This record gives sequence, structure tokens and C-alpha cells, in this order.
Amino acid sequence: MTLEGHNITVAYDHRIAVADVTLSLKQGEITSIIGPNGAGKSTLLRTLNGQLPRSSGAVLLDGEPIERLNRRSISRRIAVVAQEAELRFPVTVVEFVLGGRFAWATHSGWGWETERDVDIAESVLRETELSDLSARLMNELSGGERQRALMARALATEAPILLLDEPTANLDLSHQATLLSLVRARCDQRRAAALVVTHDINLASEFADNILLMKQGRTVHSGKPEQVLTPEILHDVFEIRVLVDAHPVTGGPRITPVHEPISVNRDSRSV
Amino acid sequence: MIYYGRSVRARGYYCLSALGLIICLMLVSACTPREAANQGATREITDDLGRRVSIPAKVDRVISLAPNLTEIVFAVGAGDRLVGRTSYCDYPPEAKAIPVVSDTLHPNLERIIALKPQVVLVSTASQLEVFTQQLKGQNIAAFVTDPHDLEGVFRSIDQIGEIVGEKDKANVLVQKLRERTNAVEQAVRDKQPVKVFYQASGEPLYTAGHDSYITDLMRRAGGASVTADVPGAWPKFSNESALAARPEAIILPTGGSMGAANANVAEALRQSPAVLQGRVYKINDDHLSRPGPRLVDGLEEMARALHPDAFGT
Amino acid sequence: MNRVTLRKTIIACAAMAAALLLAIVLMSLLGSEPLPVRASLCALASFGTNACGLTQDQFDILFQIRLPRILLAAAVGGSLATAGAGYQALLRNPLAEPYLLGISNGAAVGTMIALVFFGAIEWTRPILAFSGALLATLAVYRLARGRAGATPERLILAGVIVTTFLSSVIVFVTVLMDATRIRSFTFWLLGDLSGASKTLLPVTIVIAIAGALALTLHARSLNLLMLGERDAFDLGVEVGRVRIVVFLVASLLVGSSVAASGSVGYVGLVVPHLARLSLGSDNRITIPAAALGGALFVIVADTVARTVIAPRELPVGAITALIGAPLFIYLLRRA
Repeated sequence: MTLEGHNITVAYDHRIAVADVTLSLKQGEITSIIGPNGAGKSTLLRTLNGQLPRSSGAVLLDGEPIERLNRRSISRRIAVVAQEAELRFPVTVVEFVLGGRFAWATHSGWGWETERDVDIAESVLRETELSDLSARLMNELSGGERQRALMARALATEAPILLLDEPTANLDLSHQATLLSLVRARCDQRRAAALVVTHDINLASEFADNILLMKQGRTVHSGKPEQVLTPEILHDVFEIRVLVDAHPVTGGPRITPVHEPISVNRDSRSV
Repeated sequence: MIYYGRSVRARGYYCLSALGLIICLMLVSACTPREAANQGATREITDDLGRRVSIPAKVDRVISLAPNLTEIVFAVGAGDRLVGRTSYCDYPPEAKAIPVVSDTLHPNLERIIALKPQVVLVSTASQLEVFTQQLKGQNIAAFVTDPHDLEGVFRSIDQIGEIVGEKDKANVLVQKLRERTNAVEQAVRDKQPVKVFYQASGEPLYTAGHDSYITDLMRRAGGASVTADVPGAWPKFSNESALAARPEAIILPTGGSMGAANANVAEALRQSPAVLQGRVYKINDDHLSRPGPRLVDGLEEMARALHPDAFGT
Repeated sequence: MNRVTLRKTIIACAAMAAALLLAIVLMSLLGSEPLPVRASLCALASFGTNACGLTQDQFDILFQIRLPRILLAAAVGGSLATAGAGYQALLRNPLAEPYLLGISNGAAVGTMIALVFFGAIEWTRPILAFSGALLATLAVYRLARGRAGATPERLILAGVIVTTFLSSVIVFVTVLMDATRIRSFTFWLLGDLSGASKTLLPVTIVIAIAGALALTLHARSLNLLMLGERDAFDLGVEVGRVRIVVFLVASLLVGSSVAASGSVGYVGLVVPHLARLSLGSDNRITIPAAALGGALFVIVADTVARTVIAPRELPVGAITALIGAPLFIYLLRRA
């Protein structure tokens, strides 16, 4: 299972969101995209699952152009974990997670979940530690629990390619690591491939096999964490001073930003 | 939250105050009552809503807001004093020369005021009670008619005659109408009343109820309306009850300004004795829906239909 | 209540279908003219082949007037409730309802145009009503859509805009007709089931059933669509295609109901909401339940409308609004 993007460019209204990006997701690996706001990370992710149209370039899923594939066949192979939309209807956690089995339904709009579907849902609920909450309504869950439910739904699709857009945004410390460990386990045990867009550089450093740094729509650096997470490169991308040392436990790069106080010029106007 | 700079806010305040001033001026001018058209003597007449209406002693500018009222004004010889009518006022033909101020449901207040009437004649068939309040504010007398029977129609003719200063002509007209009415009632006096259904509208089914002048009319024409006791003036009627009533005759007001509408008997009545015996009578709607002089034409037509043998036809 | 299964759905639907059948029988015994109960039941059981001692008039009242009217009420109620459930899933908002959104008004304008210009040709009414409903649906959809789907505020605003605009159009068309027809139109714009026509009634019934089936067959897609268009897309729903299907089917359902009976309001709000409250949000159960429940609701409301001031009649929309408006206010406060 491979997902490749070749020379992807996405432009709208005179603005270029993604410019000539090439990347390839390999089985068993986690690739992380980091970069400042507006770098085009989420746009790139949405282009890779076929949602956003490209101005030029190609996206190939298992060698086939993604435009030629139907929606369900794509959804069986690519799962997305993104920020959740507002839920205005009462739905239980298990119903929510079972939504992930839609792409496997034999009749497209109708049909009922099979025994296997229910088993898979129960197993991913266990993996994401949501079994106790399975009968509760989604509205009753905390932000972090809802995020885990989103993860559970994506895992329920059994898709070998996972695209995650800021998956740890609402999670507390303990669950941040758990979620990415889940992704790691999937990649290791089931040969999945994952693309994680995140703001958290240290998590990326810990879990990713490859890191892509984007700025203003372009890939400015890519490679293994040790190679690209250097003070010079990070200053170049984020325009901030950082210290990089070795993480005491994992040994990988640990990034600490250095905050300098903002100088206030007496002649300047107040902001 | 958007924060506007000081200069923008100042401009905003000026605009708002200017607007507020303009609105105040408009309200003041609308509220100021017009000078009364006639400072002279006035008389009081009680209309059909029980309102005591102050009318100037001499009236030469009248507006009519219903077709029947227009017909009455012309019938008492005061057509020259009519300065406004509705778009449905088409009889007599001379009426068409008079300016239109509304359809019966949406009177144009500005146009009415512009024509400077002393009295506006209103019919509750047009449901304009709210409007009469607005007229009061403009010092224009609003006179409301709402007859529930033929006597009430005669009274309307008398009262309107008095308003426009043609009391004698009105009396003569009412006298003639009474004579014709009495003639009809005499002719059918000994006849068995015919069970009749008045179909004001077919789909949906509307009929004449207890408070409608049609019910009185049908009685005088030698009919017994099967809906005589139904409350209200123009109730929407149940199809079942119409079927169960088994009327012997059906009156269909159609034609006239109504055009081709209501030309067919309602579905529920298609198996009634009236239909099976061919006793469905179409009468010109203008003779039945306008409580004015021509209502007696309608009375005569109904009586002839219900009791043809009483009239030598 | 964990999740909905086929078994639960069949049980719920069977129960509601039984209740509907019972209602049809019971309500046909009620009306402005009293009918003998035993003879009527006997005649009904024989499907009209045996008069069972009813007089010709009584037989006609039962089979020519009451039963067609009850069947029309069922078709209209079922159509409007199904359409309501469809709009709620599509616009992602439990407050979406054909009457409140002005879609019924759109269908009414279409019907009025058909009556004014093609009066005698009956089948032009549902067709033009469907077109009117479709145009109104498109207008509301475009106006209410934001990035987060239709929030309650945007939806109500869109509904107000479309409703008031179309109301002015209705007034304009009404002026084209003469004054004597205006009163009957006012009645019709509040819903009037007394005009069950022999040609349109079967069409309305068939559309109600077909529409409910069509939306139920897409119920699983609608479940996902209801939670977010982007999520639904990610999970494999052909969002564009499902949207078109819901637009067309819901507009057809509203068009056929309004053409037959005028605008009956609040059915598309009250019934799907009650269905969701008792059975959950899974459309595989709520759409059929709403269809059957809507039929039941309007049959009962219409029986009240035609018996409470007998022999006069109230518009059925007045009864549904009496129940629906307070419920709407309550829902709005909870949202």
C-alpha cells in the first residue's frame, strides 16, 4: 500500500497554498509534516486523500491516479483523523465508531453492520481505552475523549494509510503519547503508513521516521529527525532560536525554543 | 469584535442623528390630523358596527370600498359625488370612470387621503375594521355596513341615502325594492319550501351560514337552507354533512365578476337529489354577493328557480 | 440503547404500521355525520364490497369522502415527515423543516401558478409544486451553508428570507386572482385535506411510499452526512450524489403534499424529532418511523380539524401548528 504525491501544486485566488511538493509514504513508517501556520500542511494532507483539487501534479494510491478511484475504494485504504465537526445529533460512541465500517458495507447506502464490524469496533474501543464509554453519547465526552473516538473510528476502517491532522491538539499529556503510540503500533505490527501533521515538534521527533518541513507551501527540508531537527534549519523555518539536545530517555533530538523578551522602543506607537 | 476608530464613530453618530430627526419629522407629519373638511354642522349616524359616526351636514366627496356600496351610491343618484372606488366596482358602467383606490382587501391610504373624501364607505365583507381606525386618525369619517338580512340591506340603502343627501331618492328606491320583495314572498307563500344548498365555493366547500344575508334571502325565495343554523356567515363546510343533507336544489353563484369560477357542483354533492333531478341553478354572482339593490334581482332569480310554477314560467 | 439493529428496526416499524392501520380504521368512524359503528367496521373489513346495512349515503360518506381523506392525510403526513428528516440530515440541523424553511411556500407558489394558468389540468400541480419546492430548497441551501454546515442561526435566517420572499410572491399571484377566491386560498395555505381528488390521491400515496423508501435506502450515508460533510467524505460517502438525491426526493415529497393539500406546517419538525427522541438518531430506523409517525400524526390532527366544530371545519395546519409551534420553541431553547 503506497500513497505518493508528485509535484503537487495547489493554488487558489492568486495564492499558492502548496508549491511543487513531492512525497511518498512508505509502509511501516510515520512521516510528520511540521511548519509554521499557513505553510500548507493541512492543504497538502487534504490533497492526498482526494478531497481538495490540485492545480498540477499527481497523487497515486497503489500506483493509480486517485481521480480514477471511487470514494469507497479510497476510504478503505486511506483514513483521516482531523478536527471534529460540531455534533448536533445525539449519537453513541459505538455508533460513531461503527461509522468507520461504512466503506466496507456491501450495499452502499443501506445495509447493517456485520458481526465482524461490531468485533472490530469493540477492539478499537479497547485500544483507545474507550470501552467503558461505548454506550455514552458523544456530546457527553470531554474534548480528549472525543479525539480518541475519532482515532478509534479511523482505526476501525482498517485502512493501511492514516492521515492525521493535528491529532493531539486537545489531548492531555498522557493521551498524546498514547495516541501516537497507537499509530506507531499500527505501523509496526500491521505495516500501516502514517502522515502526521502536527505543531508539536518534540512528539514528531519522538515518533516520526521521516520529517518534512514546510514553509510557504514548499518543502524546505526533509529527512530523519536527527538530520533535520537542527537549530539552523529550525531557525530558517520558524524564525525562532532553539536549543537542540539529546532526549535523556529516547536519545533523539529534543527541541527547546528560546524565548527572547520583546523590546519596546520608546519612540514607537503603542500597539 | 470590531473596534471603530474615533472619526468613524463620529460620522456614525451624525448619520444616526440625522436619520432620527428625519424619522421624527415624518412621524409628526403623519400624526398631525388634517383640518376637518367641513367646519360646519355635523350629524351623527350609527353604523352597523354600533359606531356613532360624525358626518358633515353636506357631503359631496365620498369613497366606496366595496362593489355593493358603489352600486348603492349610484342607485340613489349620488354617482357624481363618488370620488374613489375599488378595482372590483364595475356596476353601473359609469362607475368605471371613477379613480381606483384599492382592491377590496388592501386599501391605499395615501391615495384615499389625496382624494380628500369626507366619508369612506366600508363593508365588513371586506374585513376592513382595522383600516377604519387609520381613517379616524385622518379626520375622515368611516361608515361601516354589515347587513345580515334583507332588511339590513334596505337600511344600508336608507343610511347611505341620508349620508349623501339623497334621502328621498333612497326612500323611493327602498319602497320599490320592498314591493318586489313582497311580490315574491306572496307568490311562494303557499309553496312547500325547497331544501336548498348554497355553494359559495366548491373545492374547498364554503356555504352561507346563519349570519349571512343569503340565508334570509333564500327563506324569502321559498327555500329552506340546509345550512341555516350553521354558526357564522361563510363557514367552510364538511363534505360529509353536505352529502348527508341531501338538498333538493343547489344554488351556484357564478359568472359576473367571478368569471368561470364555481361553475361546478362540489364532488360531495354529485349524487344529491338536486343534481340527479337537474335542479342546479347558476345565478349571476353579482346579484348575490353584493348586498345592494341588485340583491332583489338575485331574490327573484332564486325564487323563479326554486318555484317555477309560481311565476308562470 | 447502544446501537440500532435490523431487529429493532423491524419491531419498531411493525408496531408503528399496526398503530397506523388502527388509526385509519378508528378515525374513519369519526366525522361530522354519525355512522353506525358495527356496520361501518363490517363494511371496512370487506373492503367496500359489502354494505353491511349502511344506507347508500352512509356508504358514500365512508368510502367516497372519509376514507380518501384519511388516506390523503396519511400520504401528506408521511411525505412531510420524511422530507423533514431528510432536510435535517442534509442541513445537519434538527430544526430544518420544510414549512419553516419556506420550502412549502415554494411548492405553494408552484401550485398557485398551475391553478392560475393551467387550472383544469390536475397533474400540472404536483409538477409545478415540485419545481417550486426544488428552487426554494436550493435557495435555502445556498443561503444557510457556512463552513460549519448550517448553524441554527443561519438556517432560521435563510428560512425567514426565503419564506418572506415567497410570501410576497404568493400575495402577488393572489392579486391576479379575483377577491372571491382569496378566502379559500387563505384556508388552503394553512392546509386543507378536504379536496382528495381521484387522480391525485394515488399519485400522492405512491410518491410518499417511494420517497420514504428512497431516503431509507440512503440512510446509512445520511447517518454519516449528518455528522459532518467532510467526515462523511473521508469515510467513503459520495457526498455530492447523496446530496442531490436528498434534494430531489425531499422536494418531490413536499411538492406532492402541498399540491394536494396546501401547506401543513410543523409535521416535518415534530415527528422526526419525536422519532429521534425515542429511537435514536440512526436514520435507518428514524426515517421509516418518521414516515409512519407522520401519517399517524396528520390523520389524528385532521380528524380533530374536521370534528371539533362540526359541521364546520378548521384547516388542519392550524391543529399541527398548535402542537408544533410550542414544541419548536422548546427545541430552540434547548439547542
